[in-house]
Amino acid sequence: MIALVRYMSTVLLLSQRYLAPLLLFLGLVAVLTSSDTGPLTATYASVAGAMLPCSVWLTMTLIGLEDQAHRSIVVVSAGGRPLRVLLATVGTAAIWCLLLMSAGLVLPLLSGTHTPGLTDLALGTAAQLTCAFTGIAIGVVCSRLVFRRQGYALVLALVLLLAVLLGKGVSPVNIMLTHLQSASDSADALAPTGALLAVTAGLLAAAVAMTQAITRRKA
Amino acid sequence: MLRCEAVGKRYGAGRWILSDVDMEVATGDVLAVVGSNGSGKSTLLRILVGLSQPTTGSVSGRPPRIGYVPDRFTGHDRISAISYLTHMGRIRGLSASAARARGHHLLERLSLVGGRNAPLRTLSKGNAQKVALAQALLVQPDLLVLDEPWSGLDASAHGVLAEFIDEVAAQGGAVVFTDHREAITEMHARGAYTISDGRVTSHGGRHAGSRTSMVELVLTVMPTGVMPIEVNWSVLPGVTDTARRGGEVVLRVAREHSDAVLLTALQHRWSVASLAGAGAGAGAADERSARGTAL
Repeated sequence: MIALVRYMSTVLLLSQRYLAPLLLFLGLVAVLTSSDTGPLTATYASVAGAMLPCSVWLTMTLIGLEDQAHRSIVVVSAGGRPLRVLLATVGTAAIWCLLLMSAGLVLPLLSGTHTPGLTDLALGTAAQLTCAFTGIAIGVVCSRLVFRRQGYALVLALVLLLAVLLGKGVSPVNIMLTHLQSASDSADALAPTGALLAVTAGLLAAAVAMTQAITRRKA
Repeated sequence: MLRCEAVGKRYGAGRWILSDVDMEVATGDVLAVVGSNGSGKSTLLRILVGLSQPTTGSVSGRPPRIGYVPDRFTGHDRISAISYLTHMGRIRGLSASAARARGHHLLERLSLVGGRNAPLRTLSKGNAQKVALAQALLVQPDLLVLDEPWSGLDASAHGVLAEFIDEVAAQGGAVVFTDHREAITEMHARGAYTISDGRVTSHGGRHAGSRTSMVELVLTVMPTGVMPIEVNWSVLPGVTDTARRGGEVVLRVAREHSDAVLLTALQHRWSVASLAGAGAGAGAADERSARGTAL
């Protein structure tokens, strides 16, 4: 598994295709949080919102890098277990999202005036992870593994993104962001955010299972 | 070890690409799968290695270590050849240094030109094919599946590939490969399957000795229209069979007399329409008909 993640990360790094989502994320964080003096809950809610489209983009890019022949070789090399390769792909996307997340945690502290505590950082991590998991789930379902035509996949990805951002009372992302905007204390917001993180982890697992089932049928 | 029983494959509600395929691959086998473009060769190989699920039937006894070379290996990656092989070796469970050493060794044998540190996407078709071959052999495979492995390879690499195939078979592995050229499959395979119209038929093994012992010679009137002199072919030494097909004369000649018969024919102003090695007896007839469908 580690070998697979290393290989995929190397391919992504060398392709330089990670740059666009990375720059988008940094740009959004800079715009949304610069000279911000309010409570950190709202700040990290904005950062988490920025994480969502970037994680979708990163995941779709990562999976789109390899064509069918290369992926076949990787699957055969990994002992003929496509699920293992898919999980490694999701793991690679998650690791890259963690890199974005660390930037998302630190940058608002540098540009604004805050007094961060440990709970604030924990909340920022949980909020961004919730969005990253949701984004990876959307990215996997809209990837080249499921859609051969990336035009349709892009449209679907945008629709799903809007749905999870605007789906009032249904989407865990929407619930979390609206809750964090109004919350003032990180310690109080941490528990519900953690619960939503667990929900999105389940969502991601469901998306992986669905993708695996579809690729198996298509193969 | 590997056994396909009544395997059929189609995508969605499309046409049946394969139907009712029975195939058995034993240790030490070198099998060729012959068929025209789009006949389902690649699909069959993808089912053999487990990349594709058969729609009907079952595949059993797939060994753990499989080497697979797909028909297209488009290197669009910026990753270098040796780095790619190191990563693939690691995925197969080798240590980084062992994988790197093995990669260097394989690329050395295949004499990859253009640099091991050059990005994959800068490699030519033949060189990319060499990298594809090398990744399949990083760990000695129990089953080596090659999809048109000769395409793009230069003459010296042809020899190395034949060595690789023999090595895998000698060490108790099995090799299955495809090619659309009969000459190549006959040279390397010990058994062959022909695909046409989704059906797979086995047509025996290579008849060592008997294959080269007979030559089939087809003679015709010269294109210039000069009439040849009639010869009583059946009295010539080594001629076992003569037949007439339209204006053509078909002779089956023992290999050791074929040159003399050919010379006689040319001296009598016959034109050679075709010349082919042929097996003897009933097996040869099978192979000829199989070749007819393959072409």
